[in-house]
Amino acid sequence: MIDIAPTIATASSRSYSWFDLAKRHRVLLASIFVLIFPFVMPFTALAVNILIYGLYALGFNLLFGYLGLLSFGHAALFGTGAYLCGIAIVHFGLPWYAAIAIGVLSALAMATLIGSLAIRTRGIYFAMVTMALAQCVYYIFYQAVDWTGGENGLRGINVRAIDLFGFHFDFINPLVRYYVVASFVILAFFVLSRILASPFGAVIEAVRENEARARASGYNVVATRLITFILSGGFCGLAGSLAALHLSIVPIESLHYETSGMAVMMALLGGMGTFFGPFVGAAVFLLLENLVSLWTVHWQLFVGAVFVVCVLFFPEGIWGTILKRIKP
Amino acid sequence: MTEDNKLTSKRMSRRRVLASAGVGALVAASPFRINLAMAQEPTIKVGFPVPLTGPYGTEAQDQVRAAEVAIAEFNESGGLNGRKAELLVRDDKLNPGEAATRTLELVEKEKVNLIVGSLSAAVQLAVNNVTKQRGIIFNSISQSDTINEASDFSKFTFHEALNPHMTAGAVGRYAFPKFGKKVAFLTADYAYGHEMVRGFQEAGKAFGIETVTDVRHPIGTTDFSALLPRIQALKPDILCISNFGRDQQIALKQATDFGMKKSMKIVAPILLYTGRVAAGAQAFDGVVGGTSYYWGIEDKVASAKAFNDRFRKMHGGKVPSDYGALGYGGVKTLLMGARAAGSLDAEKVIAAVEALKYDYYKGPQYYRKCDHQSVQSVFIIESKATPQKGDADVFNVISTDEPNEANLRTCEALGHKS
Repeated sequence: MIDIAPTIATASSRSYSWFDLAKRHRVLLASIFVLIFPFVMPFTALAVNILIYGLYALGFNLLFGYLGLLSFGHAALFGTGAYLCGIAIVHFGLPWYAAIAIGVLSALAMATLIGSLAIRTRGIYFAMVTMALAQCVYYIFYQAVDWTGGENGLRGINVRAIDLFGFHFDFINPLVRYYVVASFVILAFFVLSRILASPFGAVIEAVRENEARARASGYNVVATRLITFILSGGFCGLAGSLAALHLSIVPIESLHYETSGMAVMMALLGGMGTFFGPFVGAAVFLLLENLVSLWTVHWQLFVGAVFVVCVLFFPEGIWGTILKRIKP
Repeated sequence: MTEDNKLTSKRMSRRRVLASAGVGALVAASPFRINLAMAQEPTIKVGFPVPLTGPYGTEAQDQVRAAEVAIAEFNESGGLNGRKAELLVRDDKLNPGEAATRTLELVEKEKVNLIVGSLSAAVQLAVNNVTKQRGIIFNSISQSDTINEASDFSKFTFHEALNPHMTAGAVGRYAFPKFGKKVAFLTADYAYGHEMVRGFQEAGKAFGIETVTDVRHPIGTTDFSALLPRIQALKPDILCISNFGRDQQIALKQATDFGMKKSMKIVAPILLYTGRVAAGAQAFDGVVGGTSYYWGIEDKVASAKAFNDRFRKMHGGKVPSDYGALGYGGVKTLLMGARAAGSLDAEKVIAAVEALKYDYYKGPQYYRKCDHQSVQSVFIIESKATPQKGDADVFNVISTDEPNEANLRTCEALGHKS
């Protein structure tokens, strides 16, 4: 965040401090929001999807909003997480927690691979290289029919119950499923917030603001880029794993470039470079899509119009604009 | 700023944070309260996820129209001991993830009793995986061989549509003895195309056909001019074009332009009614294909006549399309099963539907016990050059492959224990 001169802070110290307080406890506030969220949603499965895609957009935003690299290949990270988590359950019969771990680790590995190839470029070239590599990943999974189901998608990720510390949870129950996913998302909020608040988080933003100056100050720009890409991949892989468990299938569409585009869309809609913005973007995007498509088959027209309005009048995104308005 | 001041401001602000959070939650909650307050009615709820938007939107909207006919007939004839049925249509956007989400909504929020729908192999497998875990009966109305296989099948799974093995088999059995043994394939490179080719080749074994080439093209190809001369050079007797929708229209159009119809017979596993209406007579001229339903059979099949008449009455004189009619069959069989069972208990309905011998719209049908595949006739059709009975009169039914379990893959081959 940009530091505001102390004179302004003292001029409205009272109202500034509550904003500051909220900022300091952003994980707590976001968690409270997540906990009450399913009760204000039209249906729980949608709320779970919003959590999952919110987390996906959050992970994407670490790279896009904070480091300033526009990736068009994040579907590869999301999809790898989803497929490997699913394969661990379907083909190896592993328990759900091991499957999630495998999903996240494989996404980290994929991010290391794609990242180490792509971070040499920047700007539009970075977007194109990540997209091209993601398409390679798409076709590898598409062709490996015996493992992934190919065109038909991977089915049979049937987790019926979650047994933890002597408690038995019925994973078929929608609210239980929501809160299991929510607990992982809250954990991710915490980790992400820690990363951003750490000295490393400051370096990420320093690289975005002025790469030459960051380098001159002795920071390893290449390593910062690569590590951020990998971390971003970890969050997206977790989102993918949770998606696989939630829907009990992994469609090949999760590796499609439209899924990559979705992350960009959600981050822009909510507000890039804000902590909670991508989550808001995911919620608005999915909610609009689901509600409008109940009324009319021409839902794309309405959703498209909303995007145009947002881009024209709220270039900082929905959450970014709200933050700017309420910030004293 | 003194230490005191800081403390007060902090205390004040915490209260303000809480207050604004509360207001925010209320505002966010209000528009959706209406949904929660909706009263539950004791109707039979039939969930119907179909791709209303996307490339198969035309077919899906026709499926909804046909399903509405089935619901209306069921309700007029007394429902289930007076309980009326209701159709809950959802747009699955031809995306398996969206379809699974929508199915979860239908099951968890709407508490549907039955689910019918889907219009893609991947989508139906996704819906099936969700419903079978939750013990909800699902009747798929779209083609797939995989859904019959033991790994995907469950006792809650029914398949009212044809599958590629039956469709391509029927067309092959008609075409191979008549047109020749040298066969070339032009295939969309995904599950649908692969399964169709396999169906043709299985049926062709009995006639000793020879595959001269199998050219694969990606889905959504707009230019076949590089592929067609290769096939032409091999001089096959028959060219099987196994693709769907717009791909099929373009491939047929270009094959006509290349003059391929002069030297070989072109067959397609499925000729779509909507595709033929959209692309016109010339491209489809002389092409032989299969279909699950064509309204023109009403001259010979009484149930088709009744269904068409009802459809015309409800939908402004239109006739049902092939995939549309499946929406009718899929909903009707489950509802009639529920009526025969006298309850909506899944086990009882399954037993009743398994026992059905029905003729609702295309002649006699029944569900095979091991995989719940509807055993039914396949119509071999040919495009008409000039319609005689209005614009909808586009096909001639030249042969009927009667319902026969021998035309299905065996239960053992599908992995079911006999």
